[in-house]
Amino acid sequence: MKITHWAGLLLAVTFLAGCYTEPVEIPEETVGLAPVYSDGDWKTIESQPPQPIIELNKIYYKDSLIFVGEAQKGIHIIDNRNPAEPERIAFISIQGNSDISIKGNLLYANNLADLVVLNISDINNVELVSRVEGAFPQSGATLPQGYFGFFECPDPALGTIVGWTEKTLQSPECWR
Amino acid sequence: MTKISTFILALLAFFVLSCAEDSADISAAASSGTGVGGSLARFTIIGDYLYTVDNTTLATFDISAPEAPEKIDETVVTRGVETIFPLKDHLLLGTQNGMYIYRVSDNGLPAYVSEYQHVVSCDPVVANQNYAYVTLRVSECREAAAGAANTLDVIDISNIESPNLVNSLSLDGPYGLGLDGNVLFVCEGSNGLRVFNLDDPESPEEIRYLNDINAIDVIPLGGTLLVVGTDALIQLDYTDINNIQVISVMSIGA
Repeated sequence: MKITHWAGLLLAVTFLAGCYTEPVEIPEETVGLAPVYSDGDWKTIESQPPQPIIELNKIYYKDSLIFVGEAQKGIHIIDNRNPAEPERIAFISIQGNSDISIKGNLLYANNLADLVVLNISDINNVELVSRVEGAFPQSGATLPQGYFGFFECPDPALGTIVGWTEKTLQSPECWR
Repeated sequence: MTKISTFILALLAFFVLSCAEDSADISAAASSGTGVGGSLARFTIIGDYLYTVDNTTLATFDISAPEAPEKIDETVVTRGVETIFPLKDHLLLGTQNGMYIYRVSDNGLPAYVSEYQHVVSCDPVVANQNYAYVTLRVSECREAAAGAANTLDVIDISNIESPNLVNSLSLDGPYGLGLDGNVLFVCEGSNGLRVFNLDDPESPEEIRYLNDINAIDVIPLGGTLLVVGTDALIQLDYTDINNIQVISVMSIGA
């Protein structure tokens, strides 16, 4: 969607909101949604060498491994057999990922709007077991239906929006 | 404290943990059970079913055949569903207007049991069989209602059909929380981490306040606490609750 549409929407919302409620105050920092832009084939999931943690999301623990979510990008695997010296040992790239859960050797994750099941018995060579397409319709490419709040204004220069993800926003200029 | 004694302490903590954890060899087959997430988690597995929350909806996936998982249910809960906490065969959902409780039947399908309503704010939940602990945050919470406050609410769920607020403590701006026996950890973001004693489960008593760390969510692992902040992943040894020690700090950032 072109940015002018957002501007129009913004304008309309501002006027509408002005009729019924207090004008929206833009917070310095708030949790809202941010677009996820396509980065090549977003369905590609693979083990990669360890990478620095840039933006910590959520963590999950199993069998002396800490799974650290890198917001929107994937999961860092940390060997925590020695908690005094936790060591990054791999990174699993999963576009648009925010949540995981693990049972046995199987890791369940959201890959944008899809649910994916990964076999992680070899952490350096994870394998896609299955994929449920469109399992999370609210993570689809348009702003989620029913979402009202702040979001990061889309920038068409960054590519196609393939989903939305929760993010801490600084003075967001888009909302609905 | 000298570096040597820190090292010895860390070593000690490592050995203590090694005893508790008999699955130390990563290359060996992982345990068949599930792992553990933080209080901000939105996925959880009970038996052969994966439950996910997604803004308004609780979805159920049958994962008995992992090569072909199937979405078997979608339940609209309310607006602003944020977290999911498994408690045996119940799911406790933290939403922006309250805590919703669902019971999971043998066929995996969730059925509404009850809810505890509060003013609109942001609120993860943890619980044991008798009490649920909910943090409510106003700051950095979209849509927080006027009159909302930063609190730790104690809710009696011994009758799960009828949750009952028994106490509400004032906090700075709480995020995630973690429960281990009679110890409750509450994250206060840049304001640090609070540790409460729950000898009287209805009146959490603050016994420690670590104000020099950034804490968003925690996972207690029976003596070791994983603390997620915006700037680091910190591990604390709380085997002696009166003498909590830093085991390691993994910094975040390139």
